[in-house]
Amino acid sequence: MAARTLPISKRGFNFEMFMWGFTRFTVIVMYGLILAGLIGGLILSAQTGANLADILYWAFFPNVSQNPLSQVWMTILAKLMVIAFVLAACGHGVHGVLEILDDYFTSVGARRWARNFIITYAVVASLIAAYVIWTS
Amino acid sequence: MGLKRNVSLATALRYKGQGPMLAFILHRIGGSALFIFFTLYILSLLGMSFANTIFSNWVFQIILLVFGLFHAINGLRITILDLFPKLIENYRNAISIEWVVYILVVGFALFVVLRNTLGG
Repeated sequence: MAARTLPISKRGFNFEMFMWGFTRFTVIVMYGLILAGLIGGLILSAQTGANLADILYWAFFPNVSQNPLSQVWMTILAKLMVIAFVLAACGHGVHGVLEILDDYFTSVGARRWARNFIITYAVVASLIAAYVIWTS
Repeated sequence: MGLKRNVSLATALRYKGQGPMLAFILHRIGGSALFIFFTLYILSLLGMSFANTIFSNWVFQIILLVFGLFHAINGLRITILDLFPKLIENYRNAISIEWVVYILVVGFALFVVLRNTLGG
């Protein structure tokens, strides 16, 4: 099997091409945030004496658990990282769900409705998540 | 793409699909599982306690880990092959490596969940 050699400049630029790149970008962002989150969590755990699992649990569910971090900057940093992760995951998921739906919805109208619904859902869900995480 | 494919899942896996086809299908199932997880996560943030109840259910945790971890590891393989196209020639080897990594990771994750469930 020969390797693909078509340069990016010849692939054209449309919605699908943009979303393909966006999906790859967001997944790299998520892997980076997971790595940074684990390393950061371990550092904060060592500095504060808090359990790593408690830190991660609080970071993702700040509305149902106590903040184990003692300093304000740690709290802000953790919240910003989780919000960034949720936004990246939501952006990544939008394209994935759309690809699956496009395989089963064959008419133009159904695909348009699916696209509008999923994008609206992603925007609303992201805003809710960012608001709750930030204000908890 | 029409819906009349006339190819069953078993046929797709038996014919030329095989390992890559199985990875493709599991990737989609994993993505769907993570979509459900994300929706429950949003509901949990909204204060709906039933979402937390579902999160703490060990059956849900196992289903999510089995499919979600495959999605993450398979996604890493896809990303690496996309960023380094010369590696595509070895994509079957990449899938084999992916399965080894997946079995190790998911095995550990399931061990932890089951140990907690059984109170060990």
